[in-house]
Amino acid sequence: MIHRRLMVPAVAALMVLAAACGSDPEPEEIVPTGRSPQEIADSIRADSLARAEQARLDSIAAAERAAAAERAEMEQRMARARETLTQTIYFDYDEAAITTQAEQRLRAKLDILRNSPAVRIRIEGHADERGTNEYNIALGNRRAESVRQFLTGFGIDENRISIVSYGEDQPAMMGSTETAWRQNRRAEFVITAGADQINPGM
Amino acid sequence: MTRRAARLPFALIALASLAPLVAAAPAAAQQEDFEGVSLGLVYENAYVPALGIQQFSGRLGGDAIASEVQAIVARDLEYSDRFAILDDLPINVTADQVDYSLWDGLNATWVVKGRIEGAGTNEFVLVLELHDVLYRRIEQTGRFPLPNHQTDNAAFRMAVHRASDQVVEWVFDEPGMAASRITFSMRRNDGTKEVYIVDSDGENLTRLTSHANLTASPVWSPDNTRIAYMTYDDDGQRIYERNLATGETKRIGAIRDGNYMTPTYFPDGDNMVFSVHTGARSGLFTYDAERECCLTNLTESPADDFSPTISPDGRWMAFNSTRLGSGIPQVYVMEARAGARPELLSPYQYGQSSFFSAPDWSPDGENIAFSGRYQRSGRYHILVAKMGEGRRLQQLTFEGNNEAPSWAPDGRHIVFTGEHRWGKGLFVVDSASGTIRPILTGVDVADPDWSGGM
Repeated sequence: MIHRRLMVPAVAALMVLAAACGSDPEPEEIVPTGRSPQEIADSIRADSLARAEQARLDSIAAAERAAAAERAEMEQRMARARETLTQTIYFDYDEAAITTQAEQRLRAKLDILRNSPAVRIRIEGHADERGTNEYNIALGNRRAESVRQFLTGFGIDENRISIVSYGEDQPAMMGSTETAWRQNRRAEFVITAGADQINPGM
Repeated sequence: MTRRAARLPFALIALASLAPLVAAAPAAAQQEDFEGVSLGLVYENAYVPALGIQQFSGRLGGDAIASEVQAIVARDLEYSDRFAILDDLPINVTADQVDYSLWDGLNATWVVKGRIEGAGTNEFVLVLELHDVLYRRIEQTGRFPLPNHQTDNAAFRMAVHRASDQVVEWVFDEPGMAASRITFSMRRNDGTKEVYIVDSDGENLTRLTSHANLTASPVWSPDNTRIAYMTYDDDGQRIYERNLATGETKRIGAIRDGNYMTPTYFPDGDNMVFSVHTGARSGLFTYDAERECCLTNLTESPADDFSPTISPDGRWMAFNSTRLGSGIPQVYVMEARAGARPELLSPYQYGQSSFFSAPDWSPDGENIAFSGRYQRSGRYHILVAKMGEGRRLQQLTFEGNNEAPSWAPDGRHIVFTGEHRWGKGLFVVDSASGTIRPILTGVDVADPDWSGGM
C-alpha cells in the first residue's frame, strides 16, 4: 500500500524531470512556490528514497531480530546439550559399575552423541582418597572405561572417546568425609572436538 | 672380625583370637598361616647392644665440622634401630683415649669414636674407630673421604651416612640404610604433583621433575642412576624415565594404545614391567627400555593388574589385581614369565571386602610388604608376608592410615605414607622392632620408593 502511494508522485516527478531536461529549450515559467520544478522533483525523490531505505532497514532489523532469537534459542539448546554431555556421573565405593542414576545421564548423552558425529569426548575417571594412589589411578581408568563401554555398546564409535584417569589427585571436594568421597567417585566429560557442531536434536 | 648379636625370637604379641594357634605346635600354626587367613604380630626380641659415641675430634681444621659429623653419625645409628645410643653424655669424655672402664660402667658394649682430618681446602677425611668395651680394644677402623660440605652438602652428608652404615656392617655383618634416598610424588600448592627425592634421614628434600602436571609411582633403577615414573601427556598416561646424572628425560614404551602406569625394574636395570590399560583389558608387560623393544605380555585380564614388584633374583613378581571381582584389589605372586599362574598372597576372605595393595619385595627376597584393610570400614595398615616362613603375616602399624610400603636396602626398615597423630607424611617403620618415626610431615605424598644402598 505504502509503496503504491509513493509511486504516483515519484512517477509524476520523473515526467516533469524528463520534460525539463528535454533537448529543446523551452520558455521559462514562473513557479509560484518559489521552488523550481527541479527542486520539487528532487525533494519528492529524496523523500521516497528515504522511505524506501527505512523500509529496507526495518525489514532487515526484523529479520535480524528473528535470526538472533533463533540463534539464541539454538545457543541455549546447544548449551543445554553441552551441559548434558559434560554432566558428571558418580560411582559407588570401590566400584566401576554404572549405577541407575548414572545410566539416565548417560542415555541423555547418547542422544546428543548420536546426533553430533563431529563431537569427540574425553572421559576422566576419578576416585576418592581411600586406598593407595596407584589403586585409585587403576580404578579411575576402570570407571572411565566402563562409561566408554556403555556408550560404544549403544553404537558410538570408540575412536570418538578417549579415557584418562586422575585417580584421587583431582578431588571435586576436599575433605575426608562421606560427602566429599561421594562427590569424588566420578567420571567427568570433556568435549575435545566439535564443540561448535553439537546438534542438540529436536 | 665381626660378631653377630645373639637373638632370642619369641612371640611378643598375638591377636587374642589367634592365641591358641600360637600356643599350638609350630607345624599346625604354620599350616594355618599358609592359608593366608591368620595374622601373627610377632617381633624378634633382638639383642640391642648399647653403643657409646665419644665426642668426635678434629685436626688440621677438621674440628670445625666435628660436631656436625658426630650428630649425623649418632642419628644414623639411632635410626638403624639396632643400638641403644649413648650420646651427649653429661660427663667429659673428650680425652683422645677411650676410657673402657667409664663406658663399661655405662653398660656400653661398643664405642664409636671419630676424628676429622683436614685434607685440602674444605675437604676432610673421617677416621672412625669401633671399640669393643668388653675386650678393651679397637675392633675396626675405617677412613672415609668427605667432599666439600659447603659446595656439595648432599654429597658430604651421603659420605658420612656411608661411614654410619659401615659401623652397622662391622657389628652385625648386615647392610645399613643410612646411605640411601627415597623418591615419591608430592603435591604442590598449585595442585600439581612432581617427583621428589629425600635422604633416608629426611634431609635434603629435592624436586626432581618439572612437568607442571600430576606424576605418580616413581621408582629407582637398581643401580640408583635413573627414576621411572608415570605422568600425563597428550597421549594420556605414559611412563617417563629420568637420568639422574644427565637430567635427560625420555618417554618409555609408547608402542601400544592405552594408559600406562606403575613401572618397576627387573634387577638387570634394562627390563621394566608396567601396567597397560587397553580397552576393557589390563595387563602387566615387560619392556626392554635399553633396546626399546620387546613389549611382552606377562598377565592380562578383564580386571586391573598393576603395581608390580620383582623379586631380587628376577624370577618372581608380586602384583595387585582386582581379578577376584568387586573392584577390590588383592596381592598375587607368580613366576615372572608369560603364562605363569598367579597365586593369591593377601589374606582374602570371601564376603569381607578386604583390600590389599601396593606390594614391595624386600631386597633380601625374604619378605613382601603391602598395605590394606581387612574390612570395608577398616583402616589401612602395613603388613609383611614372610615368604620363607610359610607366608606368615606380620602387621607393622596399628594407628592411623598407612599405605604404599617400600623396603630400605637393609631389608628391615620400610617407608610408607601415613596419616598419624604426627600429621600426614612419610614414615619409616622398623619391621624388627616395630619402631615408627616420621621423616617428612605436613606434606601430601604418595608412592614412595626406597633406593638401594648408595
